[in-house]
Amino acid sequence: MNDLLLMCMVAGRRAAIPAIRVQSVIEIEDITPIPGAPTFIRGLTALRSQALTVIDCSVALGFETAQAPPDQRAAVVEIDGHLYALLVDAAYDVGEALSDPIEVPGGFGAGWQAATRGMVETDGGPTLLIDVEALVSGPVSQAA
Amino acid sequence: MDDLLADFVAETREMLEASSGEIVAWEADPSDTARLDTIFRFVHTVKGNCGFFDFPQLEKLSHAAEDALSECRSGRREPDRALVSAVLAIIDRIGVMTDSIEAGEECSAEGDDDLIAALQPGEITSVVGEPKAAAPQQAESADGEDDAAPKAARSNGVQRSIRLPTELLDEVMKGVSDMVLARNDLARRLREAGEQPTIDGPFDRLSAILADVRNAITRMRMQRLEHLFGSLPRLVRDLSNELGKQVMVDFEGGEVELDREMVEMVRDPLTHIIRNAIDHGLEGPGERIKADKREIGLLKFAARQSGNRITLTISDDGRGINIERLAAKAVAAGIYSQAEVDAMSQRRKHYLIFEPGLSTADEVSSVSGRGVGMDVVRANIERVGGSIDVASKPGEGTSFYLKLPLTLSIIAALTVGSDGQRYAIPRSYVEEIVFGSSDHIDFAEAGDRRLITFRGKRVPCLSLTEILGTQADDAMDWEASTLVLVRLASDDIFALAVDRVYDHEDVVVKPIAPAIMDTGLYAGTTLLDDGRPMMLLDLPSIAQKHELVNEMRSATRVPEEETAEQRKAQPIMLFTGLDGRRRAVRLELVRRIDTIAREAIDIEGSRVQAVIDGAIYPLAGLEHGELTADRCRLLRLSDGDSEIVYAVREVLDAAELEGEVIPSDADAMIEGVALIDERPVPVIDGHALFARHSGGQRKAPPLSCRLPADSDWARTILEPLVEAAGYRIAGDGDEESDVAIELAEAPAVAAGPARRVIRLRHEPDAPGDGADSIYRYDREALLNALKQARMGETA
Repeated sequence: MNDLLLMCMVAGRRAAIPAIRVQSVIEIEDITPIPGAPTFIRGLTALRSQALTVIDCSVALGFETAQAPPDQRAAVVEIDGHLYALLVDAAYDVGEALSDPIEVPGGFGAGWQAATRGMVETDGGPTLLIDVEALVSGPVSQAA
Repeated sequence: MDDLLADFVAETREMLEASSGEIVAWEADPSDTARLDTIFRFVHTVKGNCGFFDFPQLEKLSHAAEDALSECRSGRREPDRALVSAVLAIIDRIGVMTDSIEAGEECSAEGDDDLIAALQPGEITSVVGEPKAAAPQQAESADGEDDAAPKAARSNGVQRSIRLPTELLDEVMKGVSDMVLARNDLARRLREAGEQPTIDGPFDRLSAILADVRNAITRMRMQRLEHLFGSLPRLVRDLSNELGKQVMVDFEGGEVELDREMVEMVRDPLTHIIRNAIDHGLEGPGERIKADKREIGLLKFAARQSGNRITLTISDDGRGINIERLAAKAVAAGIYSQAEVDAMSQRRKHYLIFEPGLSTADEVSSVSGRGVGMDVVRANIERVGGSIDVASKPGEGTSFYLKLPLTLSIIAALTVGSDGQRYAIPRSYVEEIVFGSSDHIDFAEAGDRRLITFRGKRVPCLSLTEILGTQADDAMDWEASTLVLVRLASDDIFALAVDRVYDHEDVVVKPIAPAIMDTGLYAGTTLLDDGRPMMLLDLPSIAQKHELVNEMRSATRVPEEETAEQRKAQPIMLFTGLDGRRRAVRLELVRRIDTIAREAIDIEGSRVQAVIDGAIYPLAGLEHGELTADRCRLLRLSDGDSEIVYAVREVLDAAELEGEVIPSDADAMIEGVALIDERPVPVIDGHALFARHSGGQRKAPPLSCRLPADSDWARTILEPLVEAAGYRIAGDGDEESDVAIELAEAPAVAAGPARRVIRLRHEPDAPGDGADSIYRYDREALLNALKQARMGETA
């Protein structure tokens, strides 16, 4: 398993997004809030005249909203023709997966369990592989 | 060349190219049924298209080939080399003919019969037929080579067309839309950077080019409705055959263009309406003849563009919607109670056809009445931002009116602000915009529901901040808000309070993520000029969420509206009279506004008349002042029978008479004084006006009056007076006249019997027997006598 992964920090934990899904990593300047939308959707932002739906990964995983870091990094992914910006605490480098995603007895915690495909070994240690489809559909409590 | 024809040529060519490989393969192995099927499909399609276009030659050829091939397909005949060759010869010939059709020239039918004959099984000549069949075709192409140059020159004039996958078109469209947005972004940055002549010039040029490209792309996406209409005759034919009815179709407005996507979106609803019309609307031939209609039913399609909307009307001349049965079904289905149905207007009852689960057909036929009803049609039409309406007359037919936006992706929107953010509202829903501070708006609360009173109607009111949850309702400053009156496709109205209204804009709408869609608040997103996203509000869904469109309400709405109608303000027309004062007249009285030259008005004493278009009208309004020097503006008023004109200085405006008219006794010519825009305005009393000026001459059939036959004086002077008094001059043919006027000094010649006789004398002073005669220039006495005569008659 030599998939490339975008390493990032979500809700204070190491996480990874399959690099093949990521179109780019952007810095988000301006977010237009969408009143009435679920909290994990921070709003819309424009990228090259396209509107991206900004997903706050921490909230989507069921955690309290993260402290907004000064540079808001986000990974741009496309799901079903819609573009999303996955807002993360920090985005690092692209690394290689050293193992297949595996399950760990006892799970990773409710939020993580629902939105990840398991744990992969990387150079930086065990990392949770994010399931982007599950992530954009919101926290477990809302999905259930 | 005709668009359809170009399509036909393109399609045939395309199929020829595609099937040429198949043909070769089939030739190698005539028993290959898959190849056979492909070729069969080709000739079948060509045949079908030919029938549509009237190419008898082509049709004959393809029909013959189709027959032979279908025999093979059904196994009645073994395909052999001879057959293959014959079919191939025909296909080649079709190719040649297609070229001729495109070039617009006649193609000789020579050799066609040989080609067809070659298809016959067991035909000895079939083997010989091959070279023979090829011969004319060869000759043709040799011909073609000879005059290849002029032919090429000619085909330059022909519009070349290519076929593109729609996805590619969409891709390009999307690219151009993005380019426009990128340009807007760049424009903003350039503005911020200040004047830069070296950059601004080229940038302006870029903008202009981009605008052109955008236009062209938009046109590319447009499709003539003909394309949609083109497929309908076949559908109608199939359905009518199946149902044993005869239907004729008529199209109008095929040149109207519509977004391709939209064309596809209306295809299904249209098909459904056609099914319904043929199945339920149109009667069978027997019933039609009984109803004194043509045996063949008529299904008519008409398209019309008005602004950025298309109206598509589908009408049949069938039996119409049976609203009683429809209403009964609605009651039976438990959708409405009998009382609710009884309270509905005709129109509202017709609208029941769009309720889910209703169908007027008692029997479910193979074609329609199987669950998918008009409710689905309505839902589909509304989903693309359109609306549907129905009108029907029993025994005369039913019409459906589809109103569709021109395109799906660009919509006219109103941008509004709420809580510092902008939102877009589709223009089509916006009925009116009013300021909360305006005087004719009243806010009221009923329970938790906030209402506004506008034009005598109570309308539920929502604030956008409350809908979006950005601000509590109590904190809302209603008076400071701007109200957007929203009329939904279902005719429900509500008011949306926003902080301010910005602008009208055409926006490119893009879909939004499902999670945002789930909020039920937004229908899409669009980018502002500065590149920031803006949400498009989903008003029908918002209304649904706030329960502004539930069954109870829509059922009670109609009677409510009708009572409101009665109280409804009456329209009046404001004008300034000749004295410069504002006056008003009820709009119903005003037929038209004329402007005539001063010479056309004749004033003599109290008799004032105006000539308009060769007719004389009594003129009123002069009591207020002098006419202007050259041209006069006149209101032509009508009481239904007679018309008078009223001179005004200026026509101001139409307004609504909302309050009461306070009667005034001071001036007989005014009905009273009304408050319009806070100012008192006298309203002209139409009754008094007509009573004074039109004289009521036309009420009864005119009485006849016989004049002395041999008197010039009677003819030239008396006759006009008598006529003006409302009498008809009796001719010699009249046996008995109502009144006769005789001259006293002339011997009483009884020209004919009369019921009453008026005698006129020459001298002013009566010489003794003055009691029964009147001095001939005593106008008053004469008119009195005539009047008495009339009173006596009519009494």
